[in-house]
Amino acid sequence: MSGQPKIALRGVSKVFDVRGEGEPFTAIHGVDLDVREGEFLTLVGPSGCGKSTLLDLIAGLTTATAGEILLDGAPITGPGLDRGIVFQQYALFPWRTALANIEFGLEAKGVPRRERAEAARRYLDLVGLNGFGGRYPHELSGGMRQRVAIARSLAFDPDVLLMDEPFAALDAQTRESLQEELLRIWEQTNKTIVFITHGIDEAVYLGRRVAVMTSRPGRVKEIVTVDFASREGDLRAGPRFGEYRHHIWTLLRDEVAAAQADERKVVGSHG
Amino acid sequence: MADRSRGGTVAVPERPGAYPVRERPDKGPGVRVRRAVPAAVRAVSGVARKSAAIVLLLAVWEVLPRIGVVDPVFLTPFSEVVVAWGGLVAGGELLDHVQASLLRSLAGFGLAIAGAIPLGLLIGWYRPVADFLGPVLELFRNTAALALLPVFVLILGLGETSKIAIILYACAWPILLNTIAGVRGVDPLLVKSARSMGLTPLRLFQKVILPAAVPTVFTGIRLAGAYSILVLVAAEMVGAKAGLGYLINYAQFNFRIPDMYAGILTISVLGLLFNLLLLRLERHFSTWRTT
Ligand SMILES: Nc1ncnc2c1ncn2[C@@H]1O[C@H](COP(=O)(O)OP(=O)(O)OP(=O)(O)O)[C@@H](O)[C@H]1O
Ligand SMILES: [Mg+2]
Repeated sequence: MSGQPKIALRGVSKVFDVRGEGEPFTAIHGVDLDVREGEFLTLVGPSGCGKSTLLDLIAGLTTATAGEILLDGAPITGPGLDRGIVFQQYALFPWRTALANIEFGLEAKGVPRRERAEAARRYLDLVGLNGFGGRYPHELSGGMRQRVAIARSLAFDPDVLLMDEPFAALDAQTRESLQEELLRIWEQTNKTIVFITHGIDEAVYLGRRVAVMTSRPGRVKEIVTVDFASREGDLRAGPRFGEYRHHIWTLLRDEVAAAQADERKVVGSHG
Repeated sequence: MADRSRGGTVAVPERPGAYPVRERPDKGPGVRVRRAVPAAVRAVSGVARKSAAIVLLLAVWEVLPRIGVVDPVFLTPFSEVVVAWGGLVAGGELLDHVQASLLRSLAGFGLAIAGAIPLGLLIGWYRPVADFLGPVLELFRNTAALALLPVFVLILGLGETSKIAIILYACAWPILLNTIAGVRGVDPLLVKSARSMGLTPLRLFQKVILPAAVPTVFTGIRLAGAYSILVLVAAEMVGAKAGLGYLINYAQFNFRIPDMYAGILTISVLGLLFNLLLLRLERHFSTWRTT
């Protein structure tokens, strides 16, 4: 089984029919990507290149126009509890307390009440929110909300965690502590994680591989394997980190320029 | 007054500033730390400030007829209205009228809740139903309830049925429109999040759409509560033998002007209390709503 990727995308394209516009809109085109079992893959690319679209496809929330997406070798037919998503805007249910939010997926899974409560407490602890279980989302800080959202996705024990810029709305300190915590959780739980980010630093720090996408229609331009001899100390300050960052920055620079030119063209054609 | 009984115009969910936020001087966490005496003084002065306008209004009501600015025959001084009110209470007459009125209001209001919420959920959730019923709803919501009163009387007669029906009709609109708005207004990201966890449409409705819509639905219920009292009076002015609307109309007809004002006062207080009760209920069910 070791040879089979956890998630495999083969020539995946997604075309949207935009209302009021004659021609269809190609968000991603011919994406090939393998995500290995238990790996932490980060995904970077210019804004609008189709990263979120790609994640929706893997989540089964939308269907591909062409190509196939395999999970453990079987085509994805829809959403399921074998994959959990964490959104940038948390997407917590405001009428549920932190604990009740974490229980949500377990309810969907049909786990009995007692076990549900137990599991929710465990995952609340795991994300370091012991004592905040009874709070409603609006009574929590942004960082705490995102911890709850992560706990909610972990609680129903999916094999794959799909994260769409989960830390983008947080301040630098909170972001760094959540990054560290996420790595710790990943090491403890052996989940396969696909993590979208705009931050090159974040991509290099978290990802064992970094997939760089082209401007729209998005494809995978290059996959950079990130390998540090040691992760002790201030990883971000080391020369290796700088090299990876520069390499990815160079890959992205041309794509961002292309994306901006494309946006101007689109705006121009409307004005 | 006639304009306010139109159901359709007030369906927009209210913003927090739309009605005055009442202070609770004895319950704030910061207040408890301070000494009790100033807190009590503040509470009293708070009550005084808030009732100042009412006291002023009553004073004007008392004084104007007494100094002859208004004919006291048409505007009975407030103190005499209170006396008349006492008489009506003592004679047991008022209780009968209040009972008759409340029964009609609550029946119409309750039936409106029972009917409009399910219908609103259906319209809000199923596009085809909305497309089908949309134009009819648009037409009727712009027809004042009281304009239809003669029609109700013609078809349902002068008895209880037509009175309860017109109250039901007036109450149904805010509930219906708010329920539709509540269902439609659910954050799509929450729906997406729930869907990503493999919820079936039915469970999605039960676990996301319904709870998310509850505060908006309750706003509709509270508005309906107000309408149930507003429309009541008009309904009872036609062919009723009891009820506060009947009392007001009958007293005016027989030139028992103090009794008429006593009836008006009763209905105002009744409406106020009902609204306060529903406001409490609404708050209780929307504690999680921050904005
Ligand atoms: N439902 C949709 N209908 C039409 N077009 C869409 C839809 N969803 C996304 N798009 C378009 O597809 C393109 C890719 O969108 P997507 O959200 O995947 O980009 P992204 O890479 O996540 O961008 P960002 O980094 O800004 O989040 C965008 O140009 C967007 O306008
Ligand atoms: Mg995105």
